[in-house]
Amino acid sequence: MFKIPKEREVPFGGIVPAPVGENRMMVTSNWRTYRPVIDHEKCNMCLNCFLYCPDACWHEDEAGEKMVWNADYCKGCLICVSECTTEALSPAHELDFEAGVVRLEKLF
Amino acid sequence: MAKEVLISGCAAAAQAVKYSRVDVICSYPIRPYTAIMMELAKMVANGELDAEFIHGEGEHAQLSVCYGASAAGARVFTGSSGVGVTYAFETYSPISGGRYPVQMAIADRALDPPGDFGSEHTDAMSCRDQGWLMGWAETPQEVFDNHLINYRVGEDRRIMLPQFVCHDGYFVSHIPGKVILPDQSQVDEFLPLYKPLHPLDPKHPVSHGPQIRPDQGAIMDLQRAAAFLEVPKVIREAIDDFNRIFGRDYRPFLDEYRTEDAEIVFFLQGAHARTARFAVNHLREKGLKIGLVKLRFVRPFPTEEIQECLSRFKAVGVIETSTSYGGAMKGGNLIHEVRAALYDAPERPLTTSFMAGLGGDVITIEDFSWMAEKLAKAVKAGKVEKYVYWVGFELEE
Repeated sequence: MFKIPKEREVPFGGIVPAPVGENRMMVTSNWRTYRPVIDHEKCNMCLNCFLYCPDACWHEDEAGEKMVWNADYCKGCLICVSECTTEALSPAHELDFEAGVVRLEKLF
Repeated sequence: MAKEVLISGCAAAAQAVKYSRVDVICSYPIRPYTAIMMELAKMVANGELDAEFIHGEGEHAQLSVCYGASAAGARVFTGSSGVGVTYAFETYSPISGGRYPVQMAIADRALDPPGDFGSEHTDAMSCRDQGWLMGWAETPQEVFDNHLINYRVGEDRRIMLPQFVCHDGYFVSHIPGKVILPDQSQVDEFLPLYKPLHPLDPKHPVSHGPQIRPDQGAIMDLQRAAAFLEVPKVIREAIDDFNRIFGRDYRPFLDEYRTEDAEIVFFLQGAHARTARFAVNHLREKGLKIGLVKLRFVRPFPTEEIQECLSRFKAVGVIETSTSYGGAMKGGNLIHEVRAALYDAPERPLTTSFMAGLGGDVITIEDFSWMAEKLAKAVKAGKVEKYVYWVGFELEE
């Protein structure tokens, strides 16, 4: 009944197989003013940060020994800090970092 | 065994949800629809209904929970009223765009000017273009039936769209009426278990609601529009099955009352049709050839059926119960649809609209008589005096 050009096709409901990587064209951390910093000594791998992060920015490393933070998508909401059970996470201002997003010359 | 009970519209909706074997329910309180969730909470607590009962922290969250649950593969139920319906507005388009057949009951309540809890259709009607099915019930029995029918249509693989299942606050939500509770086996025959397209599966993860390019946006719209073109056919099939299995005699889109030889008709949806039937009887006794046409689905709007049906009459009075400030017809909503549908009809009746039943107002027999008089006058003059009347507030010359 309708014709849709091949290059403009969209899957049913826009639902697609989950991407295996990250989209480098869509880095979304540039409005962060604070970031969570982890003290691995205090972390007991309870995974609260992983569970509560709205943007899936915490995951275990391959060995399953420590938590890894994803700087490209963290918005700095600090929910992980407030949910951390062992006070292993603390907030730190972006200005405290050489490569803090507030120092970026080029905005996305 | 089927049994007859006397229950309110809210209780009827809750019963229908139970019979539908819903997996996930998400609630947030606002009257009058709250009574549905009170019933369901009891059922879940008593072990009568095996469903996840989640409390949202507001209507936006409530609908977002339903969005996720439906994406995961659950049959989902939620509901709201008035400003609750509009607070969740952002979520409606993504839910229909992603093709999740979420069902939401709306027991109408006026939107705040500044705080009215009476019934008015403006809450739901404001959401009519978001890609959800939408229709009203007149009685608790119709509430019960519409919930089942909407799940069946919405979850059909040809459709996969969410549904607003509406009934008037208080007039239907809180006034008990006779409801036939069927045998579970009848419901199971009519409404099979939901088969989601992408059930949550760690082995085959999918992304829901990803970013698309602007040149793909129109196609997402087209997908929904094309699905809506199929809805009338699926509704007809569902109603046929429903009538057969439950022994009812619904017509899919338009319910007519005493229209055989009618010259003028009231056209409306929802609870006030009940009073209108009494008014029609009363006016018939006075010798007026009047009838009633009740709309069962406003989305999809039954254009062809409207043309065929309303062309038989000389004048149609659209009773609005919702507002469209500054609209083409200068008051109501429904008349836009009715007039547009009739434009290409070979025989067009005179059409005008009546603002009535707003803010929780009862439409009285006197009001209906007054409207009938205006319609009769239009027939006599061969034209309508104006597009809209505010019933009870017009300066009479």
